[in-house]
Amino acid sequence: MVGTKRRRDQDDADELTPRKLRARIADDAPDELEPLEAQTPSRKGRAQHLAENGTPRSILKKTGWANGVAATPKSTRKLVFETPTKSAKRDSPDGTPTIVRNADRSARRKSNRRILERTLNGADSDEEALDEEDELAEHILGADAEDTDQPGEDAVPEPPVPETPSKRGRGRPKGSGKVGRPRKQRSPTPPTELPPHEEYFWQNRPGGTKTSNNTLSAQSLLNHDEYFQAMQSYQDGHAAEMDFLLELHSRAYDQWIFELDQGFNICLYGYGSKRIITEQFTARLYRHLLDRPPYKGTKKTPSIVIINGYTAGTTIKDILTTVASTILPAGLKPPNQPTALLDYLLEHLSSTPPPHPIPIVLNSIDSPSLRKSPTPSLLARLATHPNINLLCTADTPHFPLLWDTGLKSQYRFLFHDATTFLPYTTEIDTVETVNELLDRSGRRVGGRDGIGFVLRSLPEQARELFRILVLEQLSLSLTTPAGEAEAEPSDADRTPSTKKKSSRHKLVATQGVEYRVLYHKAVEAFVCTSEVSFRSLMKEFYDHGMIESLKDGMGVERLCVPFRSEELEGLAEDLGAGVF
Amino acid sequence: MEHQRCYIYQPPETEERANKRQRTSKFDPQSRLPERLQIYRSVWAQQEERIQNTLEGADSATQENIVNFISAASSSPDEQKFAIPTALIVAGPSIASHGHFFERLGRRVRDANSAYIVLTSGECPNLKTLLKNLIKKVTSRVEDDDEDEIDRPSTSSRHGPKLLNYDLGHVEEWQKKHRAASIVVALQDSEAFDAGLLVDTIDLFHSWLDRLPFVLLFGLATSAENFEERLAGNSLRFLEGQKFDVIQSDEIIEKLLHATVASTDVRLHIGSNLCRRMLDRQKDHVQSTQDFCDGLKYAYMSHFYASVPSLLLKEGITFSDVTADIFEAVRNLPSFRRWVEDTLDDGRAQDVRNLLEDNEYLFDQVSQHIQSGQQALLSLSHAASVLASIRQAIQMSPTVRLSSIWIRAASGELSGSPLIRETMLSIKKIPSDKLVHLLASLRELEGNYFSIDLASSQQRLDSLLKNTDTPLRTQHDVRNDSLRTTVVAQKVLLSKHKAALSEQDRAYSDIVTEFHDRLETYFASSLVDPRTLFLSEILMYDLKSPHTEVFQPKPRFAIERALASPHDYLGCDCCSGVDGNPAALSATQPATAIVYQMYLESGTLINVSDLWSAFNAIAGDGSDENEPKTMALFQRALAELKYLGLVKPSRKKTDHISKTMWKGL
Repeated sequence: MVGTKRRRDQDDADELTPRKLRARIADDAPDELEPLEAQTPSRKGRAQHLAENGTPRSILKKTGWANGVAATPKSTRKLVFETPTKSAKRDSPDGTPTIVRNADRSARRKSNRRILERTLNGADSDEEALDEEDELAEHILGADAEDTDQPGEDAVPEPPVPETPSKRGRGRPKGSGKVGRPRKQRSPTPPTELPPHEEYFWQNRPGGTKTSNNTLSAQSLLNHDEYFQAMQSYQDGHAAEMDFLLELHSRAYDQWIFELDQGFNICLYGYGSKRIITEQFTARLYRHLLDRPPYKGTKKTPSIVIINGYTAGTTIKDILTTVASTILPAGLKPPNQPTALLDYLLEHLSSTPPPHPIPIVLNSIDSPSLRKSPTPSLLARLATHPNINLLCTADTPHFPLLWDTGLKSQYRFLFHDATTFLPYTTEIDTVETVNELLDRSGRRVGGRDGIGFVLRSLPEQARELFRILVLEQLSLSLTTPAGEAEAEPSDADRTPSTKKKSSRHKLVATQGVEYRVLYHKAVEAFVCTSEVSFRSLMKEFYDHGMIESLKDGMGVERLCVPFRSEELEGLAEDLGAGVF
Repeated sequence: MEHQRCYIYQPPETEERANKRQRTSKFDPQSRLPERLQIYRSVWAQQEERIQNTLEGADSATQENIVNFISAASSSPDEQKFAIPTALIVAGPSIASHGHFFERLGRRVRDANSAYIVLTSGECPNLKTLLKNLIKKVTSRVEDDDEDEIDRPSTSSRHGPKLLNYDLGHVEEWQKKHRAASIVVALQDSEAFDAGLLVDTIDLFHSWLDRLPFVLLFGLATSAENFEERLAGNSLRFLEGQKFDVIQSDEIIEKLLHATVASTDVRLHIGSNLCRRMLDRQKDHVQSTQDFCDGLKYAYMSHFYASVPSLLLKEGITFSDVTADIFEAVRNLPSFRRWVEDTLDDGRAQDVRNLLEDNEYLFDQVSQHIQSGQQALLSLSHAASVLASIRQAIQMSPTVRLSSIWIRAASGELSGSPLIRETMLSIKKIPSDKLVHLLASLRELEGNYFSIDLASSQQRLDSLLKNTDTPLRTQHDVRNDSLRTTVVAQKVLLSKHKAALSEQDRAYSDIVTEFHDRLETYFASSLVDPRTLFLSEILMYDLKSPHTEVFQPKPRFAIERALASPHDYLGCDCCSGVDGNPAALSATQPATAIVYQMYLESGTLINVSDLWSAFNAIAGDGSDENEPKTMALFQRALAELKYLGLVKPSRKKTDHISKTMWKGL
């Protein structure tokens, strides 16, 4: 095969074929290009050299290449992209060691790339195409033989070039990944028994998460009534085991009392609601204190402060005032500000110490309302006082991160695992949490029924206004063509069948009705006459969570009813039929 | 009640007090608890006193210096000052102990008739708040809400316009009344203050310096250079600084350890493992000294609370104090068994029989052994101190802290260790000038547990040294050796020769050798492995178990374990897998655990609809009428995961949630 090639090379010698020229130039090249090489970093220079070398057309244009090249170092880069197809041929006869590298590539892949490159680089003459096909065949059959033979022939003293840039532009050839290398067959089951960090990377691999587009139907999620009804009839299969866990924990109550007595504070953690434990413990502590000197034999009772941190809106002030109510005599008027109140309390505790440390039982110290900035430090200052005993529970798994070393040493916590497996019935509003998690806040009003209930209690204008809003929103979602998705992505966008990337913010902002527009519509419909009355109507909707308002990218306020389009349609029907 | 935010506990009306204490089993582990706690209190009271003394003593010198600096700054009140006197207190990286330091400092500063205010970065986000806080703290005025302030007649309204509540005029007024020698403002964590705020504060204080005698204290965790870099040159010109180095917390810990754990006057010893653990925790988490003390206290508490035979540590205990339970407990101790076996090996079967059957005999033996065990442990601690002070006196390198020497001694590793050998070797070579030092420092440690006859050595040395000026050397000293090279038949022979010792040197060598031998026997006798002692469980507390969990909890691990393998906690038979396959999810597991385990397998984005169908397939029974119940469980599980912070809503796709935690990371 090699022989054939060589012979043909000789045959062509008289014609001014590009290849011949190239060969000659290649011989000259080292000398001629020296200035160029000096100018550019070696590798790049070589690349340019090759680029120019391998582009017969450009060489033909400037026959006086030898003189010209030094003077025109410009536009070298552009040539890389201008590379015509022929260059592709060149790399095999040229015998640059590239081929050695590529020798193991399959023939199929090579021919594929060749075809691809030709189509990419535009039309070639038939002759060239034929030429190429010949060569292609040769390649496929004799690539290996060529590789060993070629370098001697051309004897271009070129160092190995990792890549022949004339072949193609930057980056891997399009489709080479898909066509060339057969994709690894991905196993349907994920690997098991990975170490935790590997598992993290496995699950976070790019494109790794392919989830289906299934959605939960609106009926399948339970509302409050249904949930409680279902839960009432439910019997936990592990009731006995949970009781046993509780019994285990309850054996430690006396120990905890001793620990509190020694000036430590206690923090309980672990899975499951720990309210029952704190409740039982409080009862035990109460009886324990009742048997002690200041209370024994008297009518006086010890006061234990209980704080439910999980209740939304619990503030440090609530805590401090409750503590204050236990230790301060009735006549005093403590300061209002939390910081001042705390100072006052600590001062009072130090100057007139109570007969025993004041026990504070705090459920869920890591609840969102108690996490905010000044609260933990104030709480720590309170807890660090020797006349305060704090027993608290923490539900989240990473609660120790809430405290730095300073706070931690102030709290003086002893930690106890108090896993109960009991449901967080009081701590969590299950239905509400799930709705929020699934972005169905519209269900908060209680769905269509809830809206009807609210609307019935409102004046006629309000119903009318709401109808306008719903209709506007519906028409917006219907009229917006899919092509204008960028400007006004339709409501259908929320179903995953269309584009995935629609952030909620954008959604609400774009699907909602502009505030101004709604106002004018309302005025036109004689729903209201002034913006004041309009606002007062809207306020009612806000308060019941029937509408949401957001600013879009332009800063325009938009209002929308937080329902999906099918629900909106039902709502519009109801409104139109005058059901409400 | 459960939805109320805060309330005072009220016992339920119908309370059956009958079932308060029903113990069916005969053995009551808490039977002698009050007495044990009594012992605990007396033992701990001693330790606490030592801790307090150590802490007070540790930084008293530094505090004294700072107080002197403050009083020097305020000594000439009429003199015009051009810069604010400033103390840069380099308190070290252990931020947790800064609070205590400034608190103690404050007590002393206030005694010197100065106003003392500590400001932390947390309460001073900007200049206005800083000033408000400052004024509030200086004038100790109880400030009410802003609304009230409008109505309240301001004190200065008579003299002119009402002052704003961040006007230092308030302080000036207060100063006129109280005539404090100086107003000391301590910025506890100066690194955390905004640099701009510091500059503003300094500028402002400087401009008031002619009216208010400010003294600034900066608490530094890094270095004074770093502090200077943060301030502009202009502000630096307003400060007249002096640097004070506070004793770093690890040195205080060392002292505390010496005073408490390695002390020769304790009734309950801390074991080497626990001690090492506590020190490591200190080092790894840069905790305050308070945490170390807490750890120690908890060890004492655990020992007396949980261990029944710890009652035997009571001073002057008599046979009638001890119940049969305690003897049973003693007979079950591992060290008792070892001892009995040893006794049997000695062929004293009758003694063993008595031990096992006769409580009175056992009591005698136990009280004897408690005495001797105490003695052994105390002399062990003392030997560690002796070794540490020997190394210190002859300045051996590397310096090994007492804590590590003690820990090695208490774990029985020290006897015959390289550390001892090395020390003994250098004692052999000790020149007389160093020996004088060494003897002097050892004299301080002389006592019941260290009864080498130092005095005679000292006497003989003194009489020897009277006649000589140069330090005497022993025969082992290398300087007395010389190498001699001889060429015999073209071969080089190296031979070591002792230089002829002078009369004095020889006498001195005798003293040193005698001293060395005595020390060696002393170390050999006192460096025992405390764990081999009979009753070591009573004399020493070295349990890892409650201590680690209580101080270094792993809440995340606990929750992940509870959810991933619920039977670890529940101990039920039903949840450990299906048909022998432990990996399979069984339907009997708690709903949250099922959902969590599916959650573990999923990617970052979870389709709730699919999750629900998977859950329904496992936990549901396929019938339609039970589906609401399954759904309710599913919703509850989902809500719990959200509550625990394991998932959060995702906006990427409808009905998807995203995963936020990976197990085991």
